[in-house]
Amino acid sequence: MHPFYIPDIGCDRSQSLVDICRERHFPAFVCDALAVPIRSGACDACISVAVIHHFATAERRAAALQELARLLRPGGKALVYVWAMEQEYNEKKSKYLRENRTSPRREEGVSSRSSGAAVLVEQVPDAGPPEPARQGSPLGDFQEGGRNSRKATSAKLPVHTNRTSFHSQDLLVPWHLKGHPGNHKPAEPLGRGGPQGPSPVFHRFYHVFREGELEAACRTLSDIRVLRSYYDQGNWCVVLEKV
Amino acid sequence: MKLLTHNLLSLHVWGVGPRGFPLCLQATEVPINPVELNPEFVAPMIPKVEWAVLLEAANTLHLVEVPKEQIEGYEHDEKFLKKMHHVLLEVDVLKGTLQCPESGRLFPISRGIPSMLLSNEETET
Repeated sequence: MHPFYIPDIGCDRSQSLVDICRERHFPAFVCDALAVPIRSGACDACISVAVIHHFATAERRAAALQELARLLRPGGKALVYVWAMEQEYNEKKSKYLRENRTSPRREEGVSSRSSGAAVLVEQVPDAGPPEPARQGSPLGDFQEGGRNSRKATSAKLPVHTNRTSFHSQDLLVPWHLKGHPGNHKPAEPLGRGGPQGPSPVFHRFYHVFREGELEAACRTLSDIRVLRSYYDQGNWCVVLEKV
Repeated sequence: MKLLTHNLLSLHVWGVGPRGFPLCLQATEVPINPVELNPEFVAPMIPKVEWAVLLEAANTLHLVEVPKEQIEGYEHDEKFLKKMHHVLLEVDVLKGTLQCPESGRLFPISRGIPSMLLSNEETET
């Protein structure tokens, strides 16, 4: 017998992450955030945490917000968290910058999504092997695995050094599988790890948001209103309401 | 996949609009997973139910004792809520397919998880 059921449903682009939801008895399905296969107006509330900052164009980021709005019933609310470019705000460094790389991590798996996108970079202990890059996915060249990420545009995408401030809004953030000693070196391409053997590093695309940018993107939508807009541990956040 | 999920699933393509509802369910592995009944959570689901879709799915899965429609005073009808709770939340499709009524495209359900990804061609307007 499971504890009482809260009628919520999760979805993610990653089969492996959805598998974890299933293991923990949360109903979930696999889909693309730009084409969520749920009836329009069916949701009382939606949460989008650490998702929209992975889309590579302003158009797609707006489309993801539009999908959230479509899912909501009139009066329904959405909560959106995206990674902030400003990791130091009001003279306070975010957890992402403050945390020592070698300190033990307690958060893991799905719970990290609610504590901010920053945690995703180092933990993923139970996520299993990352998704192979799919051909023809709407996400195009910016898949996990990053094999195609560099040929996508003529402008180079900088590779971020973990736990430092962001110097560019569009960047690749290295993701080391847990247990690998690569954390103290600049990220190396997949398969070239040195004497210890290959140290898998995946480059994940992020568009980190500037102050006001998320709110501005929301305001371009005609059927929602912004109720709250705030900064939380290195994330820009909005609460939206469907009108 | 619970039947509540199935009842909500509908293909919708960015910039195009709704494409396929309801998704036609076929299933080969359908265990029953007991879930503690909490009428407070079941009652709000009732007005959202698309009854034709639910009944079609229940029929496909050979379920019995499925209410045919929302009844007057459902919020306080323990018997009705219990039956709805069972149909919506305790029936678990582990393995099967969902078919788009328009395109005929099949989406797999494996290990209880529907995979609803569309290809690039399908999302182009």
